[in-house]
Amino acid sequence: MQASEKEELFPKGSDKTYSLMGIVEGEPLQVERGPDNMVMTYPHLVVRELLLFLVVFIVILGVSMVFNAPLEEPANALHSTNPAKAPWYFVGIQELVSYSAFLGGIVAPGVIVLSLLLLPYLDRNPRGVGVWFSGTRKFGIVMFSLFVIVMIVLILIGEFLRGPNWNIYWPWL
Amino acid sequence: MNKATYSLAESIKLLPVNIRNSVIRRGGGSEDQERASVVFGNLFLHLHPVRVHLNTLRLGYTLGLGLISFYLLVILIISGILLMFYYIPSIDMAYNSMLDLEFAVSFGVVLRNMHRWAAHAMVAFVFFHMCRVFYTASYKSPREFNWVVGVCLLLLTLFLSFTGYLLPWDQLAFWAITVGTNIVTYVPWIGDELRYLMLGGTEVGQMALLRFYVLHIAVLPMVMAALVGVHFWRIRKDGGLSRPLDN
Repeated sequence: MQASEKEELFPKGSDKTYSLMGIVEGEPLQVERGPDNMVMTYPHLVVRELLLFLVVFIVILGVSMVFNAPLEEPANALHSTNPAKAPWYFVGIQELVSYSAFLGGIVAPGVIVLSLLLLPYLDRNPRGVGVWFSGTRKFGIVMFSLFVIVMIVLILIGEFLRGPNWNIYWPWL
Repeated sequence: MNKATYSLAESIKLLPVNIRNSVIRRGGGSEDQERASVVFGNLFLHLHPVRVHLNTLRLGYTLGLGLISFYLLVILIISGILLMFYYIPSIDMAYNSMLDLEFAVSFGVVLRNMHRWAAHAMVAFVFFHMCRVFYTASYKSPREFNWVVGVCLLLLTLFLSFTGYLLPWDQLAFWAITVGTNIVTYVPWIGDELRYLMLGGTEVGQMALLRFYVLHIAVLPMVMAALVGVHFWRIRKDGGLSRPLDN
């Protein structure tokens, strides 16, 4: 009876090039490395995640002990600051608005947000996944880098080079 | 069954073990089974699969940017809730709350600094995270939708930071929001109405402060929490973090 059951579990086939010889207790050959380069989430990933939280928390706490958040005089609707600047992440948009209110303030942000939302549906080329700066998608990388650099440059100009009446002023003069 | 097993003395003796076993579900078994049950038996860890690919652990691949953004959000929520105990969203009291935090509340200035710097850092790190996802082509099939969720999270982060910017009610806040909301008026046809909707009036005043406050502490954080949940869940459903093909 038992012999026939074993036959069914491990049938002898002519096209089979392997067979189960026996099950042995012990560590697998790839210790701490499962099949397909998989590892246990706990402890490997969880410990790294908790360590990263400690680092982030300590850095934020450290910066907060040394540098105080800005606080100016109480708000006064009758006395405007000159220049009045948006928060730094919108200063790039404000810089564009100074060239053209409609194009810089509405069209440009709208185009940026729409292109970001549609990006994965416009770029259907499946190559390069999981590789930093894959050479198979040079066009996309150049275009995105241009966008990032232009945003950063606009923010830097708006934040550091714009003085009263939104005129250019050089901080070192 | 032996009656002695259920005696009060025995129950008290076994109290720590029984409480522990009722809280933590551990099946026992081999070492790997124990480790697996740590992850899937825990509400906060169960978004993780039991096993992850080695590439997921590579700091040089993700740079930890998404997780840093999430941790900054956690710090912001905790410090923000503590700040709510001291902050009064009224144009007469808001600025005084800032002075109280700075001079009267124990560690109030550190609390406010942490909230402020973590907020700036979060805007930056969410953007860096988006750059990482782009440069590693991680938005490609089957992760298109999670990229879209991510873009929405970036916009939410910007809007959360913007609504928080007004709350100190100092000159910096007032004129930054005045300038920022003026941009909205350039929207064709409904520009002025949109600005009126945002500010609850024609200029930045009490209604604007209250609207920004409610958006900042209730509406946007709830949307954010829900979308972050979707974002994390989709990572799992889309097959874990992107990685190059195994050789």
